[in-house]
Amino acid sequence: MTDAVSVTPTIPASLPLILVGDSTVGACEGEFCTIPDHHEQAVVNRRLDEDLV
Amino acid sequence: MTDTSIPPIKVDIWSDVQCPWCYIGKRKFEAGVAAFGGDVAVEYHSFELAPDTPVDFDGSPVDYLSQRKGIPVEQVGEMLAEVTGIAASVGLDYDFDHVHQTNTMKAHELLHYAKAQGRQLDMKERLLKAYFVDGRHVGRIEDLADLASEIGLDRSEVVRVLTDESYLPDVKADVARAIEYGIQGVPFFVIDGRYGVSGAQDAATFANVLERARTEREAIK
Repeated sequence: MTDAVSVTPTIPASLPLILVGDSTVGACEGEFCTIPDHHEQAVVNRRLDEDLV
Repeated sequence: MTDTSIPPIKVDIWSDVQCPWCYIGKRKFEAGVAAFGGDVAVEYHSFELAPDTPVDFDGSPVDYLSQRKGIPVEQVGEMLAEVTGIAASVGLDYDFDHVHQTNTMKAHELLHYAKAQGRQLDMKERLLKAYFVDGRHVGRIEDLADLASEIGLDRSEVVRVLTDESYLPDVKADVARAIEYGIQGVPFFVIDGRYGVSGAQDAATFANVLERARTEREAIK
């Protein structure tokens, strides 16, 4: 993986972009960062395993 | 096997220095690139999550989120603890107790300066680690110059360009392009100017889209 500065210019995006990937993964918008539901469930499951809830 | 006649796959990444998912996503992306195995050229672009944050915000991230978003302190603490756990899963030791919430405009200017020196990737990694792991301040010019000098950049030159706001137009251009692309959250990855990947996806997702981009290039070669 290299710094792009001397390798490849920024490619003008073809709009609209083709969106790929899971739309529920963690990301930040404004000052708020989401936590994926499945991770929250995993945390709950772990706590259940540990008899914390 | 990598076809060396094909130029590197270009990946443009919009990201903010104080975005916890951006650092986690960076690690997952790097794992995806390693799994892909081909040449990738990366360029980071500026995205400010909270542009009205004062440089010297007096308080912790818990204070900041509870005051700004009205989220109960206890809930913010739980959220940060969960993110810390996820960060640990990719080898990052987040330390929110010592994070200095700040304005990241100058950090973005520094990243553009570093790009002009061919050192943007190193500077990005140093800034993220400084903020989330090392408890360093990434909003003040003198602190940023220290961090830049740690990766070998000219400290006095960094102070000069940040004081003069030499790279402020580049930061604003990145933000404008993000709006043009409809980017609302970060991290956001644009692969070969064609595919958009939002958030801290799994490494396999990045590897798959990089492979798809390479296959398409080979098809039109």
